Amino acid sequence: MERWGASMKEIERAISPPHEQKKSKPKEGLTGAKERWTEAMNVVPAILRAARCEGSRLHTSSSLRHIQKQTRLRVVDNSELGKSAMLEGRPPRCIHVYNKKGIGRTGDKVLVAIKGQKKQAILTGCHQDQFPLMPKFDSNNIVLVDENGSPLGTRIHVPIPTFLRKKLTEMSRPKGVDYTKILAIATRFV
Amino acid sequence: MLSAVPRRIFHTFFRKPPAQRVTAKVPPYIRDQLDSNTDNEQPLPHDFRTVYPEFLPDPRPEWRNRLRERLERNDMLTRRSVVAIPEFYIGSIMAVTVGDRNASDKTNRFVGICISRGGTGLRAWFNLRNVIDHQGLEIMYEMYSPLIRNIEVLRLEKRLDEELLYLRDALPEYSTFPLDMEPELLPEGAPVPINDIKVKLKPRPWHERWERKNLQGVQDLGLPQRFYNKAKLHEKPWEKYDLMMEYRATIPEEEQADIFHEIAPHYQQLESSRRQSKRRLAQTSRY
Amino acid sequence: MSLLSVTRSILYGGKNNLQKIEVINLLLQQNTSVLTGGTGGGATTRNMSRMKKTRPFWQPKSTRTLYPEELTPSNEAFGSEVISDQHTSSSTTSPLKCEPWPRGVWSEASMRCGVIARKIGVYPMWDNNGRRLLTTLLEVPDNEVVKYIPPEKLLEHTHPKKNNNTHTKEMAALVVGADPIDPRLVTKEYYGVFADSGLLPKKKLTKFLITPDAKLPPGTPLYASHYRPGQYVDVLGTTIDRGFQGVMKRWLFKGMPATHGVTKSHRRPGNIGSGGEKARVLPGQKMPGHMGNKKRILRGLKIWRVNTKYNVMWVQGPAIPGATGSYVYVYDSWYHHCRHTPDNPPPFPTFFQDEEEGVEEEMYHPDLHVFSKPSIAFNEK
Repeated sequence: MERWGASMKEIERAISPPHEQKKSKPKEGLTGAKERWTEAMNVVPAILRAARCEGSRLHTSSSLRHIQKQTRLRVVDNSELGKSAMLEGRPPRCIHVYNKKGIGRTGDKVLVAIKGQKKQAILTGCHQDQFPLMPKFDSNNIVLVDENGSPLGTRIHVPIPTFLRKKLTEMSRPKGVDYTKILAIATRFV
Repeated sequence: MLSAVPRRIFHTFFRKPPAQRVTAKVPPYIRDQLDSNTDNEQPLPHDFRTVYPEFLPDPRPEWRNRLRERLERNDMLTRRSVVAIPEFYIGSIMAVTVGDRNASDKTNRFVGICISRGGTGLRAWFNLRNVIDHQGLEIMYEMYSPLIRNIEVLRLEKRLDEELLYLRDALPEYSTFPLDMEPELLPEGAPVPINDIKVKLKPRPWHERWERKNLQGVQDLGLPQRFYNKAKLHEKPWEKYDLMMEYRATIPEEEQADIFHEIAPHYQQLESSRRQSKRRLAQTSRY
Repeated sequence: MSLLSVTRSILYGGKNNLQKIEVINLLLQQNTSVLTGGTGGGATTRNMSRMKKTRPFWQPKSTRTLYPEELTPSNEAFGSEVISDQHTSSSTTSPLKCEPWPRGVWSEASMRCGVIARKIGVYPMWDNNGRRLLTTLLEVPDNEVVKYIPPEKLLEHTHPKKNNNTHTKEMAALVVGADPIDPRLVTKEYYGVFADSGLLPKKKLTKFLITPDAKLPPGTPLYASHYRPGQYVDVLGTTIDRGFQGVMKRWLFKGMPATHGVTKSHRRPGNIGSGGEKARVLPGQKMPGHMGNKKRILRGLKIWRVNTKYNVMWVQGPAIPGATGSYVYVYDSWYHHCRHTPDNPPPFPTFFQDEEEGVEEEMYHPDLHVFSKPSIAFNEK
């Protein structure tokens, strides 16, 4: 137990109820509630430190790189809206994923908030680890589309996976939304 | 009074330990019981372990079974007789052509640098990375998947590190390879060259704490001293003395020798395809 | 005071050794099992009797305590010679034993024998669309039919049913064994089970219920070719023993958060009752306890590939119960959509591989990609 040392104490302090905790000196300018909040915020690193100790049973997984609400995405088409948003340094944020799970994968439709507007987009590349033969990109790429499925831009200069040929034709409806126009504006398939 | 105690009662309670069980003589490794091919004793090549690492099974004893490993190796050799899977290392630049139902001509070719490889047996895999149109991307391939039409090694070389995952955090020029790259010449019988390039990383944040990984193939990371101090706390210098750890992670040398002698009849075919791919490199570079 | 309590007081009451020995001698003479809590002389059975494992009628006790025989090497060698002489194929080919039994014809109501297999591992295969699937390899090690139990004898040993259902079909049984063992290690009774068939005693024995038309003579070997690619099987195995496990692993409870004020309850079950009228813990409440080491059946598993040289079959999925190297029992699938059809009957009563000539070494399912074939090419959509 000695090797756990301070980290174990920190955890015990963190998970014991507030009234049992010794009142430590509050930081300058912090009230009681804020003091507890900062303490709580310091608990997670303590637990993580404990997890990295030898012989610890706590298990923390690495970043999953899910595409879900609040995820920042990269627009890869040459639409004016997308280009200006990326140049400004305010990339679009996902606010809804159009599937049951809420976690977006390559080819899924998402709703993004971009420059104060809500726009639909198709995920053309994910940073998450993929199955064999599916390309994994260094950034989470999207192509902005309107309600009919036609893209806002005229060209995609970044490679997109061939899997989208199958996925977008499946998503499209005859006499309805047609997502396959994205395939027409793509320059390179991977 | 104690002398009147009958002996047999003590025997009932204090029995002698049972005799040694007659155990069947299990050979340490099934040595070609069914297909006897001990006539042509091929000399064991010194680099077999690095050239064909997936032939060695997973060392975990709970999962090991000699018959299953043998069947798996037979399947691997059968597949290799159809598609030549060349020798490659981490840092080699490869081109893989796969059958793709969604591609326009039903095949898909990708060129990239091998950043990691792993798996044993039929589950062996490797990852290729390239930067195309300023977009970094990686694809994982299963070596024995029947969708793979062709694997070519365009540049056979090794790097200073065993895994090149730091290329994700490096400047894009270090991961960029032209898609129409020509295969490069390698003289017959030459050792595999080691590329001692030092890669420059982008500024933090990174995917991993590269200062803790003892990387040889990166330039000076340029971090404040406190990072290196923390890294030192996480170092495990005793691991290189840990014999049991090494024992658990490897197949014993005697078994390795047995395995390679088992695939010795196919060694000719494997080596000829390896030489063929190298000769192809030499031929194509002439034009 | 009962005999049991008297015995206990003497044995554990700190009396001297001689008195204890006298009591035990007395009991041994009277043949009462006081120590195990059996009734004798009006004593009540205490709860000390544990759940005794009853052996089936066709399987006597096989293990015995081995004492140091201290045989000379030449005597031991002689013993081995005698055993091998008795059990070579030439010695069992007596005209009486070779009389062939009539072989039944398959019908939809037939139930044929199963097979004892060993799980030897899992590895991936690919289908003709390039999709990867995991297959478990089951080896069929030296399976042989040991005994045929006719329906009358089986009924004798079956517990009478409460409802006398006349619709139940007449079932027979076959005792099948796998993996031979040295006869010197087993009891005489166990060795006697194999006397009719002239086989070496087997490590593993089991009974397979069959319809009488699927009967096989003792000594018939069963191979992996008893099953064919495309057939479906049910596999019964003993799950891996995980020991005493908590509620999260055992019953997949969600647990509680690691932080946010949770007090000492991160992996606990939480509430176990509802209160109100049912003011008690209901029976069957999921709690921590022993997990694993149970018999479980996985049904409807497709067979993808069979190798007749090494007697191995490749079965769908990686989730066959048991660790690598454990024994499993394989049956024809019971699911209606997986049963045999008249246009594709199984080898009945079994596949007599020794009699057939030119048996293929490898049999593949038509949807499975064979490694010796070229890579998959998608020519048309």
